[in-house]
Amino acid sequence: MRKFKVLFFLLFFVALAHSLEPYVDDKLLDDITKKYNMFAKKRFVFLQKTLDSLESADDLQKLNAVNEFFNRVRYASDMQAYQKTDYWATPWEFLGKDMGDCEDYVISKYFALIYLGIDSKKLFFTYVRSTKFKEPHMVLTYFETPRSEPLILDNTNFKIFPASKRTDLIPIYNFNGESLYKISATGTGKKIEEQKSHKKWDELKLNMQRKKI
Amino acid sequence: MTLFKQIALMLSLFLLVILITVLTLNFKSANQSVQEQLYEDAKNTASSLSLSLGSANGDISMMSTMINANFDSGHYHYISLIDVENTVLYERSAENVQTDVPEWFLNAIHIEAPVASANVSAGWNNVGILHVQSDSSHAYTELYTIFKELLISFSILALIGLTILNLLLAAILKPLKKVQLQAEAVIRNEFIIQEKIPYTKEFKDVVLGMNTMVSKVKAMFDKGNEELKKQKELEYIDRATKLKNRKYLIDKLPQYLKIDADSKGGINIMIALSGVIEANEAIGHRRVDTLFMEIAKIFIEQTKHYDNSIISRMNGTEFSILLPDCSDTDALKLAQAIYDSVSKTILACGLNITLTFISLGLYEYNYRQSIGQLLSLSDNALAQAKFKDTHIHLDKAESAVEVMGKEAWRKIIYEALDANNFTFTLWTAVDGKSKKIAHNVLSITLQAKDGTSYSYGQFMASANQAGLSSSIYKNILEMMFKTPDNRLKNSICSLRLSYEYLSRGETYTELSLLFKNFAAKLPFKLIIELPDKLVRQNSEQIKLYKALFEKYTIEMGVFEFIGESEDYQYLQDLRPVYIKGESSYFLTQSEQSLSALRLISDSIGISLIATGVMDMQTYQKLADINIHVIQGKATEMIALT
Repeated sequence: MRKFKVLFFLLFFVALAHSLEPYVDDKLLDDITKKYNMFAKKRFVFLQKTLDSLESADDLQKLNAVNEFFNRVRYASDMQAYQKTDYWATPWEFLGKDMGDCEDYVISKYFALIYLGIDSKKLFFTYVRSTKFKEPHMVLTYFETPRSEPLILDNTNFKIFPASKRTDLIPIYNFNGESLYKISATGTGKKIEEQKSHKKWDELKLNMQRKKI
Repeated sequence: MTLFKQIALMLSLFLLVILITVLTLNFKSANQSVQEQLYEDAKNTASSLSLSLGSANGDISMMSTMINANFDSGHYHYISLIDVENTVLYERSAENVQTDVPEWFLNAIHIEAPVASANVSAGWNNVGILHVQSDSSHAYTELYTIFKELLISFSILALIGLTILNLLLAAILKPLKKVQLQAEAVIRNEFIIQEKIPYTKEFKDVVLGMNTMVSKVKAMFDKGNEELKKQKELEYIDRATKLKNRKYLIDKLPQYLKIDADSKGGINIMIALSGVIEANEAIGHRRVDTLFMEIAKIFIEQTKHYDNSIISRMNGTEFSILLPDCSDTDALKLAQAIYDSVSKTILACGLNITLTFISLGLYEYNYRQSIGQLLSLSDNALAQAKFKDTHIHLDKAESAVEVMGKEAWRKIIYEALDANNFTFTLWTAVDGKSKKIAHNVLSITLQAKDGTSYSYGQFMASANQAGLSSSIYKNILEMMFKTPDNRLKNSICSLRLSYEYLSRGETYTELSLLFKNFAAKLPFKLIIELPDKLVRQNSEQIKLYKALFEKYTIEMGVFEFIGESEDYQYLQDLRPVYIKGESSYFLTQSEQSLSALRLISDSIGISLIATGVMDMQTYQKLADINIHVIQGKATEMIALT
């Protein structure tokens, strides 16, 4: 009986701790309100609500909801949004500005899905070529298993399709920063944060740690 | 350790620590930079190779070939391709490459070449992960070169830094060195004024303070010197004739009437001018005064060939001429010459020679007589002369019956010299105030062949006559230094050296050699006493002696002081530890004269010692004038603590 009591309390505190760490905390909300406006704040509140509602959903539901949520954001080139030729924005910047390019959609979807408990090994940033727009593009790919056909989360297409259905995209390169971190940290004695894996990814991780908005 | 050395050491260590720290940090930074470079190289390879591998569409043989081509063309330690299920698809690794880097460096420095990874994909599918690790041997070589260059440049920097630091420190602390010299000079009672005032405020204050202090002490000495000179003129000089006076003669006579006097005797001429009242009436006081001056000039002129003669005016009409080592024949000739010259002068003044004339009483004295005897017997001779037509009369002292003849003494002394039969008898100089021995006085004793002991007073006169005193001093000095009396260990002893011995040309060389070989082994502190007569000349010879004594930390004392020098600067230059004077000299000095002497001695740290103190009554009188250190029979009457 006593063992059950201990287990109950442990579970209670784990659940409490989890509920205390929202994707968008109050301080971040305040900062976003100060920097952007009330509408931005509302977008983040809505994001948190969406994520909260997906806590018990399966992977596919999570993928669909997140893809749908972020695909509502307007597309804008890095030059338009950040006056830079190529910039990987944090989810806070992306949703705060309410605009961004393909990498920004991928990033925001990736971190939201990680927050929802999707294994990072299943998610890849995939460099592709869009035959429709005839230009380089990036999508988020989801691998149920390492050898299974990936699902494509694309900002140009609101629905999620298996890779074989996306004939408008030519895959070039899959990339998973987290898995590279874990591998390169092995045996070097260095903390994961100190390791490097990919230039853009490293910059993004730094901005994420700083909660850049 | 001097302040300079301490600061130099501290700053040098500080500089070295800084340089070593900078060197270490530089090296660490270089090490990190090399490692980062290794990673960047590996990462670039991983990225480009992973993209190339993507084009192989999962064909292992194709991918292996691509990996081989990359591995062989660059400096890699390891390249592997692992599939999504963590199975090694292909790998290449290299053996450790030999480098010219020394073994100790390889052991001391650990370079961990980081592993760079990149995803490999084929189409939508993931092939796996590519790992690339660069070869660290090249990094070791690069790092070793950096290390050598850093070490060389930092060594040069350290060398330059330390040199500049030392030069700067020497320049900054230069005034301190001068302050130190000045302080040492103050300890030695020397008056050095530092003209160049240092720039550094602290040093400037110290130098100004020292300068003020030294100036004050110097002013005190100069004042004492001036005062003593003035007092000496008042006390020892006859104002009218500028001759010495009776007091001077009495203070000086002990040097002539003593056992070890340079002279065994001579003639004292007492001269009286009769008919002064008549002369005053005839030609007036002023012209009589001029006559006295003329007479004084005649005395000086006639005795100029006699060394150590003393011409003094005893009273208004009487004079005395002390002629050591003068024979009665020569004295009579001199007396006649003086008589004739003075008579001519009297006549030239228009006076009657039968009314105004001089009488000369010659008395042949010897060293054994007392001052009182010499003066009263000289007076007797003068009284006789006054009744003679020639106005010149010679009296001789009754010769004392010698215990031994001159030849017998000469023989004993020669034998003692041959057999080194001289020993020391100890007397003491006692500080009556603290009731302690100030120092021991070494007195020479002769042990004759037959076992009889002769004291210094007994044999020294004969030794002087025989010209053997210098040999005796040489003998006893050698004995003292070569076979010192260990009973005197840690005590202070004084030894008196005679004018004759110190004036010898070879004495300095002999002493130098003796000191060089034996002074360091002397178990007691030695004070060598020199006669004031020699010291006050302040000659080059005396300066050489002083330098010699200082070199071997032998102190210098002065004896037979009666303060008759023209200038007391020599006391400041030579800085003896004490001045010994006859008790009668100190007791007959005026208060002003004594306080002037005190001012001089106190300003340069010289103590005054009275010799020949025979009883406690005399000691008490000396103590009343603040002279407490005494020598003589009275020392035996003071109960020591």
